[in-house]
Amino acid sequence: MSKPKPKVAFFEFTDCEGCQLQVANLGASLLELAKVVDIVNFREIMSEAGEEYDVLVVEGSVASKHDEERLKKIASKAKVIVAMGACATIGGVNNLKNLKPLAEQKKAVYGSVDPVPDAIETKSIDEVVHVDYYVHGCPIYGPEFLKVMECVLLGKPYNVPQYPVCVECKQNENVCAYEKGQFCLGPVTKAGCNSWLPNYGSVCVGCRGLIDNPAADAQKDILQKYGLTVEGILDKFTLYCNGKKERAKYGKESQK
Amino acid sequence: MKYDQAFQEILSASPYRPMKAKIVKANKVTEHEKFFRIELEGKKELGHLPGQFVQASLFGYGEAPISICSSSTQKEYFDLTVRKLGTVTSALHKLESGDTIGIRGPFGNGFPLDKMLGNNILIVAGGLGIVPLRSLIQYILDKRKDFGEVQILLGCKTPKDMLFGDEIASWQKRADIKFNCTVDKADPDWKGNVGLITSLIPGVTIRPKQTYAVVVGPPIMYKFVILEFLKKEIPARQIIVSLERKMKCGLGKCGHCQIRNVYVCQCGPVFTFEQLREMEGECHEGECHV
Amino acid sequence: MKYAIINRMDMGRWFDSLKDRGKIYGPKKKESAYVFRPIQEFEEMSLKYIPTILPPKKYYFPQKEFLLKFKINPFSTGKAIREFEEFILFGVHTCDIAGIQCMDVVFNEKPADPNYLNRKEKMTIIGLECMDYCDKYASCAAVGTHVYKGGYDIMLTDLGDEYAIHINSEKGDKLVTGKKYIREMNAKDKEKLNKAFEEKLKKFNNEFDGDMERIDKAFEKGFFSPVWKDLGARCVGCTNCTAVCPTCYCFDVVDEVSLNLNDGDRYRVWNYCQMDDFAKVSTGEDFRAGRDARQRHRYYRKFKYSVQKYNKYFCTGCGRCTRTCMAKISLVETINQLLSGKEAK
Repeated sequence: MSKPKPKVAFFEFTDCEGCQLQVANLGASLLELAKVVDIVNFREIMSEAGEEYDVLVVEGSVASKHDEERLKKIASKAKVIVAMGACATIGGVNNLKNLKPLAEQKKAVYGSVDPVPDAIETKSIDEVVHVDYYVHGCPIYGPEFLKVMECVLLGKPYNVPQYPVCVECKQNENVCAYEKGQFCLGPVTKAGCNSWLPNYGSVCVGCRGLIDNPAADAQKDILQKYGLTVEGILDKFTLYCNGKKERAKYGKESQK
Repeated sequence: MKYDQAFQEILSASPYRPMKAKIVKANKVTEHEKFFRIELEGKKELGHLPGQFVQASLFGYGEAPISICSSSTQKEYFDLTVRKLGTVTSALHKLESGDTIGIRGPFGNGFPLDKMLGNNILIVAGGLGIVPLRSLIQYILDKRKDFGEVQILLGCKTPKDMLFGDEIASWQKRADIKFNCTVDKADPDWKGNVGLITSLIPGVTIRPKQTYAVVVGPPIMYKFVILEFLKKEIPARQIIVSLERKMKCGLGKCGHCQIRNVYVCQCGPVFTFEQLREMEGECHEGECHV
Repeated sequence: MKYAIINRMDMGRWFDSLKDRGKIYGPKKKESAYVFRPIQEFEEMSLKYIPTILPPKKYYFPQKEFLLKFKINPFSTGKAIREFEEFILFGVHTCDIAGIQCMDVVFNEKPADPNYLNRKEKMTIIGLECMDYCDKYASCAAVGTHVYKGGYDIMLTDLGDEYAIHINSEKGDKLVTGKKYIREMNAKDKEKLNKAFEEKLKKFNNEFDGDMERIDKAFEKGFFSPVWKDLGARCVGCTNCTAVCPTCYCFDVVDEVSLNLNDGDRYRVWNYCQMDDFAKVSTGEDFRAGRDARQRHRYYRKFKYSVQKYNKYFCTGCGRCTRTCMAKISLVETINQLLSGKEAK
């Protein structure tokens, strides 16, 4: 068992570092993980940064030209790339910027001066580099992160569940949010978080992204019953997702 | 607590527990397929029938249903040919001779040898269909005199995709079987037929009432081959296919392989065309919409 | 003693006496719904309840169930079955008992399932008879599960100030014999029980527009009925109908490896025919694509395939699938539409 331990590096882009905090919070499991990998770059828990790495874990979305170049450079050194958290996997809350043309947004925020000439439309990291593994969520769900690391280390793919959060929510025997008159994105959001929010009495906010094959027509009827629309769902999703991709799943053209 | 003995046995033996097995031979045979020869621990006999399958179990990765491609007349080992497709088969491809895997099975019904005995046999293999059919062909060749005329038609995409090349060459030379093959797309060295497998069937002469016609291949192929069989007036109950489904537990419980009320892992994977017709509406349109 | 009587006031006492027989699970209120949960005190339970979100199935066919321990290198399999503990299901409705009876035939069928049989062996069932409909979604009268027909150790019938106890097994007998506050049923009690039963039967009527014979026929010729297309167009694919069903037993098998990358456990987890990729194989071929085909499959598994295979309806009439469906797909309505016999073009 003298095989060298794979080196894992965490890098962050435009984000809040909350997902790395989730990793840091793994406690005993993180120590277990540290026995089988070398963590060479992790700003939240380490001061020294290593240079070489096999597995690159990227947190955050790409929001500037500089981000884009830096990501390409960092990625070129890695054998395996893991996108961690909604910002990295689907763009995350930074997507809000994309709702209006960039120039308009800049004007609204900064007025006539432009302190960020470098800024571009928000991108998930797979719009810039190839991604091997996705850990969805805002923030990520710790146990899923460990499951993905297990897959990375065994060299097998991690299949993000394509079924909705309802699957896990029912198994956890939660009272359905719709029964309580709440609007929940569970029926159309990818599972994998063990219905984290509904377990605490809240509703699913769709941070893991829309399932690939939503039943668009069926939803129309249901949503109407609850006084909602597909547009309403898509609006909700724009909090976390790249609207373009999500709209395509409903067979809709991009609004812009 | 009193248990009767049978119950006690059920409680102690888990059908989910794989047997330990050793890979004694591993060859990459095409770009996507790898051949494995496998011995159960203690050279135990698998006790399978041609056309049955096993669950190849790789701990940490899961299980994949794989057709057994060697005859049951060969008892000390059995062969699997695996196409690299999903998580388990990709991991299997990394294994070499000397490695250990888990095996559950054999599962399924296998080809209806008792009925086929004493009849003429027409075998049509498309693409990977040759894999389960090899177990049948080897069996027939080992017990050649128990069968009537034997004809084998083989089709694949390109000459490079052809599996069991050496063995096929030996079949070609035998006087006691008729063999013909075709490729969809030839390469410069190919001297044989070019075209779909269905183009070979009209040229075959058979006595339909005494013939069992067996076809295995991708779902979409069945429709066209079966049509040709029907044109030859082979009775529906003598047309035999083997279906691919998502066999998971092999025990007729987990539900993934079900077609209507049929659990393919137990009642199949081998069916007659007569049975396929009864599954109308749940079959792949290539399989039974003739 | 086949029938006995216990005073309502003594139920708590009796409940306490059961505690040393094993862990007790019973129905409990959760927000606007009910769930089976571990129960410490009798008062925690809500014995007047509509079927729980999940059936008690989670205790004998858990959402995630350990199958075996393994080591990758050197290859080895550990003990396949863990020790199971005695447990008591308290206050189980007759529909859910019917569900257990369905699971019994499935998992007893060869090759038998040791995990299920082990759990079942440790299970004591104390049933609770329904004297009226729980709500409008139940269809238990149609399939005859509103009355008790075995499958339990003890059945309780609420007679007002008292509960009638029907003892149906040795195990059940042990739970009541020797209790001073439980007395044998006399003729007068028996009369009261019969009367209550008669009154109850008046309240239950076939919920479908035809008897089961007609339903059998409807399923026989209904495979290509437009009903399924309609369901397919309404279904969102949330899988809830199959998740809450007391007779759904489809599963997937998953491996979990510890971080030393060598030791692991193999589990089976609930899996549903309503999932998108349920019948999809690795070549990409999906053998049951389409929500219409998947919904049809669900109904046929309850009303036709199970009858062909086990001579048993796998619908217990509990109404859970209807109650939980966001698209308001109603089992009773679907069956009635099928009965109305609108044939495919």
